[in-house]
Amino acid sequence: MASEAIAHESEHHAPPPQVDADVIARELIATTTGASGRFKAWAWILGILSIAGIVSLIVKFTDVGDDSTKWGYVAAMVSFLLSVAGAAPMIAMAPVMAKANWVRPITRLASIFSFAGVATLIMLIPLVAILPPLVTEGARRRTIWYMAPDYSPHFWTTLGLVLLLFTGLMLFYSAALPDFASMRDHSTGWRQRLGKRLARGWVGTDVQWRTLRKRIGMFGTFYFLILVFVNFLISTDFGQSMVPGWRDAIFPMYHTISGFQAGVAGVVIALYFSRRFMKLEKYVHLDAFWSLGRLLFALTLLWVYFFYSSFIVFWYGRSENDIATLNHQIKGPMLPVFLVGVILIWFVPWWMLIWNRVRRGTSAMVVGSFIILIGLLLDRIRIFVPAWSVPGDQIHQKWLEVTPEVYWPNIFDILIIAGGISLVALIVMLMTRVIPVLSVWQVQEFNLLAKPIKYVRGHATLVAKPD
Amino acid sequence: MATAEFGSHNWGMVVDVDKCIGCNACVIACQAENNIPLNTQDRVERARSISWIRVERYWEGDFPDAKARFIPIMCQHCENAPCEPVCPVYATYHNSEGMNVQVYNRCVGTRYCANGCPYIVRFFNYWEPVWPKSLRNHLNPDVTIRSRGIMEKCSFCVHRIRRVSRKARSEGHEVADGAVQTACSSSCPTSALIFGNFNDPNSKVSQMKEDQRHYTLLDQFGTDPNVIYLAKIDADKKVGAGEAASHG
Amino acid sequence: MQQRRELDQVYINRKLLNGQLDTPKWWAPTVTFLGVVVVIGLVVISIMINKGLGVTGLSRPVYWGLFITTFVFWVGISHAGIMISAILRLTQAEWRRPVTRAAELLTVFSLLTALVFPLIHAGRPWRIAYWIMPYDISRGIYPNIRSPLIMDPVAIGTYLTGSTLFLYIALLPDLGNLRDRTTGWQNAMYTVLALGWRGNPRQWKMQTVGGILLSALMLPIFVSVHSIVSWDFAIASAVEGWHSTIFAPYFVIGAVHSGVSAVVTMMALMRWLWKWDDFIRPEHFDALARLLIVVATGWLAFTFLELTFALYGQDAPEIALREMQMFQWPWNMLFIIFFLTAYLIPVPLWLFKRVRNNIAMMFWTSILVNVGMWLERFLIIVPGLARRTPFVYTWEAYRPSGVEWMIFIWAFAWVTFLMLLFSRFFPLVPLFEAKESQVFTDDVMIGRAKVPAIVREAD
Repeated sequence: MASEAIAHESEHHAPPPQVDADVIARELIATTTGASGRFKAWAWILGILSIAGIVSLIVKFTDVGDDSTKWGYVAAMVSFLLSVAGAAPMIAMAPVMAKANWVRPITRLASIFSFAGVATLIMLIPLVAILPPLVTEGARRRTIWYMAPDYSPHFWTTLGLVLLLFTGLMLFYSAALPDFASMRDHSTGWRQRLGKRLARGWVGTDVQWRTLRKRIGMFGTFYFLILVFVNFLISTDFGQSMVPGWRDAIFPMYHTISGFQAGVAGVVIALYFSRRFMKLEKYVHLDAFWSLGRLLFALTLLWVYFFYSSFIVFWYGRSENDIATLNHQIKGPMLPVFLVGVILIWFVPWWMLIWNRVRRGTSAMVVGSFIILIGLLLDRIRIFVPAWSVPGDQIHQKWLEVTPEVYWPNIFDILIIAGGISLVALIVMLMTRVIPVLSVWQVQEFNLLAKPIKYVRGHATLVAKPD
Repeated sequence: MATAEFGSHNWGMVVDVDKCIGCNACVIACQAENNIPLNTQDRVERARSISWIRVERYWEGDFPDAKARFIPIMCQHCENAPCEPVCPVYATYHNSEGMNVQVYNRCVGTRYCANGCPYIVRFFNYWEPVWPKSLRNHLNPDVTIRSRGIMEKCSFCVHRIRRVSRKARSEGHEVADGAVQTACSSSCPTSALIFGNFNDPNSKVSQMKEDQRHYTLLDQFGTDPNVIYLAKIDADKKVGAGEAASHG
Repeated sequence: MQQRRELDQVYINRKLLNGQLDTPKWWAPTVTFLGVVVVIGLVVISIMINKGLGVTGLSRPVYWGLFITTFVFWVGISHAGIMISAILRLTQAEWRRPVTRAAELLTVFSLLTALVFPLIHAGRPWRIAYWIMPYDISRGIYPNIRSPLIMDPVAIGTYLTGSTLFLYIALLPDLGNLRDRTTGWQNAMYTVLALGWRGNPRQWKMQTVGGILLSALMLPIFVSVHSIVSWDFAIASAVEGWHSTIFAPYFVIGAVHSGVSAVVTMMALMRWLWKWDDFIRPEHFDALARLLIVVATGWLAFTFLELTFALYGQDAPEIALREMQMFQWPWNMLFIIFFLTAYLIPVPLWLFKRVRNNIAMMFWTSILVNVGMWLERFLIIVPGLARRTPFVYTWEAYRPSGVEWMIFIWAFAWVTFLMLLFSRFFPLVPLFEAKESQVFTDDVMIGRAKVPAIVREAD
């Protein structure tokens, strides 16, 4: 790892190889065809796990039915999958709006993740059925739905997730138009026919390009708004409002920010594998990892900041429900989960990612991302499982007087967790066979805008910034 | 038999709301005992009056059945006081005898403690205290006169506690139950305010706080006060008073 | 608008050093006027310290009022400097260059002003050594480090030290420049201050590395300062409207909102007063306005959460407080003004490119933002205390007295006074940044279009 980092040090900020646009298109499209034996084996494994997960979900639903105390792990999975699959496309969008060049190779890969929103939606279906209504036994539980009709959270969360999926697909599609055209022009067989059908007569006129940028901006903004909205809903209605007395204004933001952290980590992992197994070193430079590493580092710090902001207010406030909330979340049976989570989300990545060397080395980055994802899964479990463990008859109390028993996972819960993660991985893997993981037109454009120049005694890159 | 050893006092008060008639004798006694500046009209209008103990009036019930109630409120000497950790100079801290004490000399007057106090029983000296000439000789020599710019509050008449316990120690016996009386408790005509040592299981306050009517003010803040209230009893209603005040 | 103008170095020197070498005519009368206001303010402060806090409008439940609000406001403004200088430096935003000095300066001077308020608002300001210094060790009594009021001076002190260093490091090349262009006592002063700056490669490298290191080190402090200020309020579990977990990031992003707006105000003034049209260009306002749209919308999300979660608990006292804050006279009027000025008027305006590039519009909208952000702090601090607790005895509203308003005005005069005084001796736009930006930008032809381009260092 270290030698690789040093060897590639000069590569940082390197402009793209100055190759012909046609060559880029052909090379990138060629990566989609064919699949190695290893790829197929993994696809089968992940596919079986996904199916097992879905079957477990159905079995669990028919088995335990509407006993909400047993659904904590599914709630944690909804939150976790929303974090990974929902936030990843955002990673691509945010820097595009800030006109950053390093993000160009990442945009496609990140927006592919929006397909994985299907997995989140599947997990949500039973959960929505089980979520207690706002008013039970004449008493309204504490939610953000101050005076709203009953079943508001059920309706809006479902709508939000469906909209998120739809907007994500539109975002993907509107940015993929020129690439479908490239597939039409440079590919054969079903990919060519697919390209022809989906390119919708793209030839790259001025008007078409302008519309394309406008669409990306529009869907990107919508996507961001819906993502934040869904994050707020999932975190309050499916987490906070299940616990009496837990009133934590920062928690929706915490959920969103740690979601971005998971999204970046997911993108790093996907980028690493596609770069390595599709031989994309020529196009994916180390500065993509470097910049993602800085982003991940910043988000890691934000995580601990948001966590601490909420912790200190409870801990210092010491009112009855402050203490009850802390006991419920980070003490008791969830203490080890919490501690391991903190170490994996914050402490280890913090000490890893602070080094430039690590951020410029691909393998260290991918290890760091896996650690963050595991930590985040644990963090979601420590939040959502105790929250759903609160018995239904205690949900209206002023605060938790007795910390409830925590529900430990059985084989179905474990299969559901494994299945959900596998489904996301499988969807991303299969999509790489359909469309190039690097956006062809983004790479071509980068080629056009960035030039290597000699500067005084060294080398530099001249980057054009069109308005 | 008093089993408490020297130094293991936990001073506290039991307020029997049922006995309170709202006569304000405690308030006057406290003003006189503790050298509290006169609450002139101007100060009351500007909401700067100082009153270590006050008798709050509140209404219970809805209109036709509404009843006026009284409840004396002084510093609750919380075990878990919100005012203590926020003071930057340790001017207020919890002493070993269960009291929340105010060190006038250290106070710089940030008034942070008063913001944290849910009972609003901490007072700030906006002006230098002055007394008319005729009252000068009435000031209590045992109690410090607080200068402007510092906080003050009910001290459980700490000077009386000190005098009695010093005397008891020099005579080699325990402080007897009831030997220490605060100004308010000694002036209460109906004995609604009882002062004593909670560490002594046989003291009057220890026994009274076991009463089933007992409650603490604003218990949702988890302050664990050393002032225990006993609820008002109505002829037609069993328990009631105080609940309204404690749950806002 | 995006056309780049080639400026030669002689022109840059002459133009940007006009404050020092060629003081404008308005300078002396303005500084004198501000000086008079400052002196009057100092007299009022002395009177207040002499007479006692009775001269303010504070009362029994409202123990904190205008002073603490203004303290939070100025600490908020101070977040401009590091936001602009450090974050934009680390993210290599090219447009930051002419803005950095002014932003850092604003940080230092607003912190100096902010620090005054908690000290004079104390009942016995002559005893603040008890508060800030670890004194009287022989008796084992230290300041109470559990108190946010102890963490405040620590955080602000660190921030002030760091910002001053930051400012000074960025000032070094310009000091060397000034040393070479002055005579007499000024020359002697600049010689001492420039620390032997000659502009050789080693010095440049150290200056750059120092700036980047300080940026990275200052960022956590930047976040901590306003977080701690917010915890002054948030930890008070008994005060509805204060005890909210969101306060730390909410205050920080609000501070960035008001700080960056203050920088916009200042840039417009600088451009107007010293005629620096070549350096502070509409594109800089454009970039700042875009940044502000993002920051303000983020801030709105936090405001939304703060209000939502006030109602979330469905507790009667909390709902009563919000009802008072939003619907009862006079808070409702303040609330409407706050919301209009902090977000609803400026941000939709900034969505238009014509507004973003119009300096007068940017000037007025940025002032609006700061009116709103001041009111925001006021609406958090005062209604929280003036709320109707269960105890009728303590119900009281709050009306600031003339003394408080005078000291409030003094703070603005004082910051402006310091700025103008500084501008007499030191350049407000960094010369070396202006020159560097000339070197680091270029135009490239792409097809038939001429596109502005930036040189990125190879490491």
